[in-house]
Amino acid sequence: MKDTNEYEKLTFEEAMLELESVVGKLDSGEGTLDESISLFQKGVLLSKLCSARLEEIEQRVRILTDDGSGSKKEVPFTDSTASGGEKE
Amino acid sequence: MSAVFTVSDLNHYVGEVLAADPVLSAVRVKGEISGFKKYPSGHLYFSLKDKESQVNCVAFRGNAIHFSFVPENGMAVVITARASLYDRDGRFQLVVYEMEKDGVGDLFAAFERLKAKLESEGLFDLHHKLTIPSLPHRIGVVTSPKGAVIQDIIHVLSRRFPNFDLLIYPSAVQGQSAALELKSGVEWFNRTDQVDVIIIARGGGSMEDLWCFNDESLARTIYKSHIPVISAVGHETDYTICDFVSDLRAPTPSAAAELVMPLKAELLSAINARTDRLTRALLHWVSIRKNKLMMLSRSRALLSPLRRVETQSQRLDMLTLKLTHSLNRRVDSTARRIDKDIASLDALSPLKVLSRGYSLATNPVTGKCITSVKQVTPGQPVQIQLADGLVHCKAEKTEAGRIL
Repeated sequence: MKDTNEYEKLTFEEAMLELESVVGKLDSGEGTLDESISLFQKGVLLSKLCSARLEEIEQRVRILTDDGSGSKKEVPFTDSTASGGEKE
Repeated sequence: MSAVFTVSDLNHYVGEVLAADPVLSAVRVKGEISGFKKYPSGHLYFSLKDKESQVNCVAFRGNAIHFSFVPENGMAVVITARASLYDRDGRFQLVVYEMEKDGVGDLFAAFERLKAKLESEGLFDLHHKLTIPSLPHRIGVVTSPKGAVIQDIIHVLSRRFPNFDLLIYPSAVQGQSAALELKSGVEWFNRTDQVDVIIIARGGGSMEDLWCFNDESLARTIYKSHIPVISAVGHETDYTICDFVSDLRAPTPSAAAELVMPLKAELLSAINARTDRLTRALLHWVSIRKNKLMMLSRSRALLSPLRRVETQSQRLDMLTLKLTHSLNRRVDSTARRIDKDIASLDALSPLKVLSRGYSLATNPVTGKCITSVKQVTPGQPVQIQLADGLVHCKAEKTEAGRIL
């Protein structure tokens, strides 16, 4: 089990696994009241983190174009970028 | 003299001779297409030629629609046809049934050779395959920015996970430069390291169209990629070297989009399910304790101290009662004794003595009892108390010494 201050680094998958382990531990019915409350709080934190991970992906579709100096730059992709003289 | 033919009869006869010839009824001919024309009827007209000669060809619509590619001038092809004579012009022609590109057999052999070579080098080994991330933050795709493929991918992604992040590396997907451009795309994504997964995609096509995906150098680049690569080339039945060396093969570009991005709704419900279980687990924890507490509160262990108190208090009651009784008894006996004492006191009372004939002399001035002759001087008043009254006297003289 990880510390709550390590949670911020967790990926979605890791947070889901951690949540699963917290639930399993709490589900065993063992531990003191303080331990159980602390597990529950960890679980709530992880649950929020999982949801947040789903939302933090930015909605965008971009295409790389030559910037004229030999490197690539990103521009938003639209149907007009698609038909705008790009290669086949 | 032989018979004289009309032109029509002649052409008809030659046509029958050609049709009856076992070789010419199904002949395979290779050459280059020229003078290609497609008529609105769907029939194709062209010539097949080599360095010295050419022959007219026609492919009727019913056969032409089954060709796996659209013929073009300059294409080297192998046709299967029957020879015939076009009656009206008396022109010899081939009626084409089937057409394939010349060299397809060579391509297939080359594909098999390369596949065997790379396989023996371990480029297709399963243990080398990278895991596709379950939730890619950014997806890279190397494909043509034109056409249906990229639109299909975008459509499927937005349906599965509305806030997806896609970066397109535009590349040719057929022709001379395609293999190099595809390879550059994979290398660029590996160098800039900003996507979690790379999709190499192309729609369906002939083996020649897909040939760039059988490039050895591209295969080695995909093998070396530290970012997982999904190959989505052609239709489900098309296989390329790219498919074998990639970390995952998707049957079509749309399928690649399905495989790469999870359904957001499913993930949300998975989070909810775990959160519900979390809450239930806490409630379960509490209810276990609650039950335990109830069991304990009913048990003798908790009850016995109380019972001991009860017993003690009962004993206390008994003792109190006993004490009260004994106190009462003592009070009673004391009271009786006091009565007796009073009675004895009464017996000792001077009045009683007086009633027996004794009297008490007192000095009426001081009120004190006279117990000695020395307390009396002659002529002094003396009061004598009897049982029923007083006698006021005056002392005449005193005389010491016991008289009784």
